[in-house]
Amino acid sequence: MVGDSSSWSRALVKISPYTFSAVGIAIAIGVSVLGAAWGIYITGSSLIGAAIKAPRITSKNLISVIFCEAVAIYGVIVAIILQTKLESVPASQIYAPESLRAGYAIFASGIIVGFANLVCGLCVGIIGSSCALSDAQNSSLFVKILVIEIFGSALGLFGVIVGIIMSAQATWPAKTV
Amino acid sequence: MNNDVFFRYGVVCEPRPITLVLLSFYSRGATWKLPFPDHLLTVPYHPKIDGTRLCDKEEGKAWRSLNPRNLPSSKRICDQIPQFLMASGFSGDETAPFFGFLGAAAALVFSCMGAAYGTAKSGVGVASMGVMRPELVMKSIVPVVMAGVLGIYGLIIAVIISTGINPKAKSYYLFDGYAHLSSGLACGLAGLSAGMAIGIVGDAGVRANAQQPKLFVGMILILIFAEALALYGLIVGIILSSRAGQSRAD
Repeated sequence: MVGDSSSWSRALVKISPYTFSAVGIAIAIGVSVLGAAWGIYITGSSLIGAAIKAPRITSKNLISVIFCEAVAIYGVIVAIILQTKLESVPASQIYAPESLRAGYAIFASGIIVGFANLVCGLCVGIIGSSCALSDAQNSSLFVKILVIEIFGSALGLFGVIVGIIMSAQATWPAKTV
Repeated sequence: MNNDVFFRYGVVCEPRPITLVLLSFYSRGATWKLPFPDHLLTVPYHPKIDGTRLCDKEEGKAWRSLNPRNLPSSKRICDQIPQFLMASGFSGDETAPFFGFLGAAAALVFSCMGAAYGTAKSGVGVASMGVMRPELVMKSIVPVVMAGVLGIYGLIIAVIISTGINPKAKSYYLFDGYAHLSSGLACGLAGLSAGMAIGIVGDAGVRANAQQPKLFVGMILILIFAEALALYGLIVGIILSSRAGQSRAD
């Protein structure tokens, strides 16, 4: 029936867009850092274990740890960009359609960046750990496995790209003078 | 025509269950207020034949005439409810961007999950087998590349959806929001499953290829079938997101 709405819409329209924005920004930074940390500990533990018998690998394989750290940096950058998109609107406009849309855009952008970086960090961490272990046995393998790691870190970049495109949609209603 | 009818329980031969319920209530002195309306307390009977029960077929017809499904639409409460809702004027279109953006998020996040799993699982296989056969590593990067392509599929759909949500240019109804949500979920979850397949097949394939070089072509064939799953998701996602904007004739 034209104009009929679902109860999901009735529930969503009661939640303030500031709630969505805040949760989105928190997820962007929080979950990205979670992914980076997860990757770092997976790589780091393997790296240290393999370096017992082959100490030469430590300095070269720190690059895997840096790839994981980059994921956290992506999360920080996007969270800072998203928080600049937060504007205050007059109380009468908080539930206007445009402001609801801005809240949803920031939320979705945060989710995208956060979870894409989470899986990217995990992936890079696992590959980095294999890279360290195989480098310890055969030094010609380091660069080859690094190519795989670069494919993995592209996933975080996809998340950042889409997150920034979506954050451009977060336009709040203009303040009426 | 006088529609008042009364239940003559004194002349019932074999009692119906409703009869027993009513008898039990009435025999207690009938001081309780029953929860159903008055017109259901009585069984209509043939007005011309006084003092007797109707035969089974007629009685069944009489009871069925009280069923709300047989009432005209103007008397049925369930048919009046949409007018109550419409009277409030709430169409829910303001929340449509929530579902649209969530679709874009689902497309990218789930595809990236699949791509990450594929890359990681096959990468571990490559690194393990590269210890013994370093010359085969570059050939064995194929599963990793195929897993990376899944992320690109998700990126495509996410950008299509994200640029399709533009309420300033074109109104964005709930229909469009749901279309985008389904598009994103279709592409994303298909990418997730394809990534899982590529990861496991790639891991097993590169390890087997190191021991038996003739298996390379077989591994590639299986990987192509797994990649096709994500392609199906991409196709369906593009078809679904092209439906957004088609909800009204205007």
